[in-house]
Amino acid sequence: MKILVPLKRVADPDNANKVKIPASGEKIDTTGLEPKPNPFDEYALEAALRLTENGQTPKVRAGEVIVVTFGPKECDTTLRAALATGADRAIRVDTTDDKLDGDLVARALKAIVDREKPDVVVMGKQAVDGDSNQVAQLLAEYLDWPQATFAATVHEEDGALLVGREVDGGVITLRVKLPAVVSVDLRIVAPTSVYSTKTARTFKYNDGVRFAALPAIMAAKKKPLVELKLADLTADVAPKIVYNAFQAPPARKAGIKVKDVADLVLHLKDEAKVL
Amino acid sequence: MPPVIEQSFMKALFHGVISEDMIFPFPEMPAEDRENVSMILDSVRKFCAASVDSAKIDREHEIPAEVLEGLKGLGLFGLQIPTDFDGIGLSSTAYARVMQEVASVDTSIAVTLGAHQSIGLKAILLFGTPEQKRKYLPKLATGEHVAAFALTEPAAGSDAAAIKTRAELSPDGTHYVINGSKIWITNGGFADVFTVFARTSSVEEGQKPKITAFIVEREWGVKSGPSEHKLGIRGTSTTELFFDDVKVPVENVIGEVGKGFKVAMEVLNNGRLGLASGSLGLARTLMKLAIERVQERRAFGRSIGEFGLIKDKIARMLAQMFALESMTYLTTGMIDQKVADYSVESAICKVMGSEVVWEVVNETLQIAAGIGYMSDYPYERMLRDARINLIFEGTNEILRAFIALTGLQGPGKALVEVSKALREPIKGFGLLSDFAVRRAKTVLGRERMSRAHPLLSHEVVIFEDMTGELANYVDSTLRKHGRRIAEMQFAQRRVAEMAMDLYALAACISRTTRAIERRGEEGAKREIDLTRVFGGLAHRRMATIVSEFARNDDELRKSVASRAYTDGAYPFDIL
Repeated sequence: MKILVPLKRVADPDNANKVKIPASGEKIDTTGLEPKPNPFDEYALEAALRLTENGQTPKVRAGEVIVVTFGPKECDTTLRAALATGADRAIRVDTTDDKLDGDLVARALKAIVDREKPDVVVMGKQAVDGDSNQVAQLLAEYLDWPQATFAATVHEEDGALLVGREVDGGVITLRVKLPAVVSVDLRIVAPTSVYSTKTARTFKYNDGVRFAALPAIMAAKKKPLVELKLADLTADVAPKIVYNAFQAPPARKAGIKVKDVADLVLHLKDEAKVL
Repeated sequence: MPPVIEQSFMKALFHGVISEDMIFPFPEMPAEDRENVSMILDSVRKFCAASVDSAKIDREHEIPAEVLEGLKGLGLFGLQIPTDFDGIGLSSTAYARVMQEVASVDTSIAVTLGAHQSIGLKAILLFGTPEQKRKYLPKLATGEHVAAFALTEPAAGSDAAAIKTRAELSPDGTHYVINGSKIWITNGGFADVFTVFARTSSVEEGQKPKITAFIVEREWGVKSGPSEHKLGIRGTSTTELFFDDVKVPVENVIGEVGKGFKVAMEVLNNGRLGLASGSLGLARTLMKLAIERVQERRAFGRSIGEFGLIKDKIARMLAQMFALESMTYLTTGMIDQKVADYSVESAICKVMGSEVVWEVVNETLQIAAGIGYMSDYPYERMLRDARINLIFEGTNEILRAFIALTGLQGPGKALVEVSKALREPIKGFGLLSDFAVRRAKTVLGRERMSRAHPLLSHEVVIFEDMTGELANYVDSTLRKHGRRIAEMQFAQRRVAEMAMDLYALAACISRTTRAIERRGEEGAKREIDLTRVFGGLAHRRMATIVSEFARNDDELRKSVASRAYTDGAYPFDIL
């Protein structure tokens, strides 16, 4: 199976509270935050690797995993980390995040899919910086492929994927014919979430994403990483969404201490006006 | 400039010469290495977070087999082995940085990995024949085989010449037969390949023994004693080794027969940097704990971090750690630039590293106070783990003597040559005038450090002044006492401690100069401040030593100690 995995580099999501918004409101300032791969994309890569191997022999790839990112030269690090983890090839579309929106990324990805002809595109359900959650759905629409979003489990069948989605009150299982677009949720990296047809259903993966062994890190330098221009992929490079202004949520006011229940009731009645 | 007299920054410094081109600009990891190392560290962190439980390792006196297997699978057993032999092929700087990360998580694991590759297999890497490398390195790189370094014996620790284990050549000349025993061998319980040092000359009174290094495989009959019980690093395997007619083919001699002492020294010189960066790793973990603790613990209505005495501790720790980090990576950078002689520098890094981490662990435990003393918290384990660093791979006392005596060798030799030249004035004229120029320089004006940023001029003056003081003391002591200096350990300590602080300060100045050049004064504020704090600490220490050059109670202390040996105990009681 040939799988395309789009990856995005985002500002350290664990320190998202440290982003600043300048008074002009023109952008979100992430200076000083360490760039990291979008966690959902890391889960997508893990799912793609599981789909292209026998879990018992993870060093042997059965199929091909191609990773692609949209960003400046610095994003090569994210791609090489993915190559070290097991991906076979990498593509970087040279651009910067402020020139993109979900629709433009989806259109550019369609062009890459048309060239690479993967059996499936596996991607994170959303990037944790913009939280748009649009690209997988738009891409499927542009490709006219079936889509399965927020996948918690993926089991490979002959020519199809059985995808489990967690919904309120239970799990929906979809069978999508290939080729297809799948976006994944965090449960996808649980020990029994993903099985290729080669992996015995009794096999259990380690919980979470795998990490690269050192020889693979050194060998990753020899794996191909090509750079493309956005204009090579789509003639229309104007984003459809234009951000007018950013503003931080209003700071919460400090609470007050009440003397007793009677006082509380008074405040709820007179000030909060909820009684 | 005086003629190049030493290939080492520190050795030149003992002459009063500041070879600043050796330390400026501060070395930097190439971009490609940096990216690789970041990825490696990421894998190490993820693996350790998922699999390593240091409290359990300490409690059960063992690194679980699956953790060791995981470390091997990651490739952590072959960090510096070239890729041609299935290793990772890291530079000295990259290796030290990875070991720093491992030690920041668990000292037992760091020591196990270090015993394997910092010293265990290092002799094969440095001195091995192509055949030896082909035969041993690939399996050592993957961890299929584990290595250990076997030098120490009951009566031969730092005094390697006292080794009793002997290797006798078989009558047909095809192999050596080794008999004897070794003690306190890290990885001794499970290592498969040993670097063993044995004497290959008969024991003769007054004769220096010839020591030879051998690669010895476990299956040739090496036996291990039980695991020793220890204060710290309890997850490591420390055992005795017994050699009872163990036959070792002559092809397994490392280097030349009789040159084992040099092999051991080179291996240890190199290995000491892993200890220095490991010490830094543990200190970083402790600093994080200390900062969390002082912000969280409240007393008298504020967090204890607000109090001056706590701030003083934190600031001192930071400055010492900054100096340690700077000197360690300055030294690994020199090695990566193929500077051949770094023996004094690496010994300084080991002593400084072990003493900094000891101070940091002690102060952090003090900051944590009551909970610091409780076994449910990591502080006491880290204190026990950190303690070994002051002892192994050369005690800090031996290393102080080593730093001083190695440093004094150059000036000592120069003096001998000068006195020779004085007897043969015409032949020795060139040498004599060089020497005179150098002497005049150190006496009349000081040697300059010109490449430092002007913002650090105060620290540069401290460095230059103290370098002059050191060189003058070295010179006058050698003139006065000559060879007797070898017995003068009080003087050696002073020389070594000045050398340590000077090297640390030089490293801080070089690193901070680079930071200012890159990021300007504002951007390099942290580095500038820490260099200043460290400069102040080092200056006061060195000033004390300088005052002791002139006036001290060395002889009194010696006689007090000698009398106590006769008394056999503390001689007083109030009864």
